[in-house]
Amino acid sequence: MNDIAKRITLAGWDERYAELRAAGLDEPDYGGPLRRHVEDGDLRLLKLQMDNSAASLRLWNFLLTEEQRLHQARAEGKKIVGAMKDLGTVPVMAYSLGNVVAFYPDGAWWIPCVMQCSDHLLEVADLLGIDDSFCPVRAMLGAFVTGAHFPIPGLLTCSVGAICDDLSAIAQRLESLGFPIMWWEVPHRRHPEPSEASVTLPGNFPAPASQVALVRSELQRVRQALETFASQQLTEQRLSAGIARANQVRRRLGELRQLAYRAEPCPLPALEMLIAEMLALHFCSDQNETVEVLDELLEETKKRILAGTGVLAADAVRVFWVNPVADLRVMNMLEDAGGRVCGTEYLFCHALDPIPEDTPPMEALARMVLADPMVGSAADRARRICHDIDEFQSEALVISRIPGASHCAMEGAIIGDIVRSKTGIPVLEIEVPPITDSMEPTLRTRLEALIETVRNRRQQ
Amino acid sequence: MICAGMICAGIDVGSRTIKVVLFDANGHGVVAAAAADQGIEQEALAMQLLERVLKENHIGREDVRAVVATGYGRKLISIADDTITEITCQAWGVSSAVPNARTIIDIGGQDSKLVRLNGRGAVSDFAMNDRCAAGTGRFLEVVATRLGVRLADLGKLVGKSRTPAFISNMCVVFAETEIIGLLASGVASEDIVAGVQSSIATRVAAMVGQNVTPPVVFTGGVALVPGMKDSLQEALRETVMVAPHPQTTGALGAAILAARRLDAGDTPTP
Repeated sequence: MNDIAKRITLAGWDERYAELRAAGLDEPDYGGPLRRHVEDGDLRLLKLQMDNSAASLRLWNFLLTEEQRLHQARAEGKKIVGAMKDLGTVPVMAYSLGNVVAFYPDGAWWIPCVMQCSDHLLEVADLLGIDDSFCPVRAMLGAFVTGAHFPIPGLLTCSVGAICDDLSAIAQRLESLGFPIMWWEVPHRRHPEPSEASVTLPGNFPAPASQVALVRSELQRVRQALETFASQQLTEQRLSAGIARANQVRRRLGELRQLAYRAEPCPLPALEMLIAEMLALHFCSDQNETVEVLDELLEETKKRILAGTGVLAADAVRVFWVNPVADLRVMNMLEDAGGRVCGTEYLFCHALDPIPEDTPPMEALARMVLADPMVGSAADRARRICHDIDEFQSEALVISRIPGASHCAMEGAIIGDIVRSKTGIPVLEIEVPPITDSMEPTLRTRLEALIETVRNRRQQ
Repeated sequence: MICAGMICAGIDVGSRTIKVVLFDANGHGVVAAAAADQGIEQEALAMQLLERVLKENHIGREDVRAVVATGYGRKLISIADDTITEITCQAWGVSSAVPNARTIIDIGGQDSKLVRLNGRGAVSDFAMNDRCAAGTGRFLEVVATRLGVRLADLGKLVGKSRTPAFISNMCVVFAETEIIGLLASGVASEDIVAGVQSSIATRVAAMVGQNVTPPVVFTGGVALVPGMKDSLQEALRETVMVAPHPQTTGALGAAILAARRLDAGDTPTP
């Protein structure tokens, strides 16, 4: 069997899958050929180039079977929590309880992207008055109303305050449709006054201790709601154990990022790295399986590094990527243009940091919430991005905007200016709608021009 | 005298026009440059233009040693040895004519670009607007059609303007409606054209932002329109210089990069 690492199309995966099966591929119960997801409506796969490893096959299958997993959990009598907006906190609490599964309904924004809008979720949102002036997260409304995707959660939580205005408006519309939400507040992170007691958060951000205390008390309300919902007590011991399990995922992702973003040639494509990083948020609705999936990816990555093989040219331009893309194809475009992703800030970098285990668990979680890049200033985001650009020796920055997402509209320019002045690397801002086909030539030109710019800088 | 066999060609396949520059890699500079309207058969039109320029300059096709294509349709040119984006080509083309240039503003038929140079002729950063016609030559085409004048004659009108109209709409489609209203209310055509030029310049200035490093060089077909340079200067509050042969700087850059391919020993075009 040919084991050369490379990116392949879905047609390539048809052959590759047969090869792997013939060679004795052992798959989990959600395994199978990727082609079946297209038959289920995930049409975008037809336009993507994917990594050809068995580990990546498992990753894709894990991602694309989440809805079935949630329905199966419901059928098995498990309680389902929909945690909206906070990224990487409420699911950690929920998975600390037995018999509870948590996921982010706001993640439904990727459904129209992957299904090339054949799901009509955005049209449902239009009819509900949430049009395309809002973030694509509005697809969540369509998913709730039609019930065609995830099972309706028994408990819905949503953080408000210093988070995305769009999401707040969309979630309020959801509640008005008869889906009650347990709201909890997150203040905008500010720098402590000189006279104030302060706390250093993960990511090295200082915050007033009073803000951490406020978030802790808000999380305590969430904890009580979870306990009532699950008819179980979420003890300190259970919570600490849950944090330790979440950290297993985060540490694996940390190691994977270090390996994949540093090694030359690039051992794993940007697309698979993006999906892997997303596992930090709610573990794709199965925490234990997430660990298994990441272990296999880590093993494959290490194997490729040891063999000195990769999926891209050794001289690929090292690009730091900010914000997740609506159309996954754009990650392919960067690589087609001669770039590779070396460092990311997908608006949830705090969820990749280990949760402090030497701190009382509620205090530790409160600190994680306040470390969220969306909760602080754009300048704070830029500071962390500059740090990581330095760490991963990135040669250029791409800031990807999401149409209608108010959070990104302002921040991109601020982050771009700060990164330019602090690091001197070229910065490219692009806007990526759910389907980029009509603007593909112009997107490609921008990305190619960025790569050319870096290559000229190397020569000079 | 041109040394046969060392000619390099740059082909800029733009959205509205195709440009060709022949460059003598033996140090004799630009041999010929020409532009033609774009159409549906983009590659065929580009090849017709190239053949015409070669014939006019008594150069055989076999003497062209390297070809680089750039512009929106660069990937369509099958004879190209390489394709390079218009951002990089503009930088090379402008730097060859204005070596100390630090900022390039290129306004073409369908997009506008800002290219910042590092002082050594290389791109340090860039930005593009290609999603909105308000900062592009397309706006001028729309107003020319609406006023019933030829695009080439717009500049003559601008010279007569005393009170440029204020075009408030940020979208060309709605601005056209606004122009109809202005005409109906008796605003002079020349004031409308001046207003449109100011609107384009304002849009481009917004893309450029606060930090403009001079010298600023203006390229693209719109740079040929009288009055646009002045509008841009006013919007940027900075002196703007129109590049020599502003419409063909991208093709020139492509030709220079083709010559560099020869220097680097890359395989020449058969």
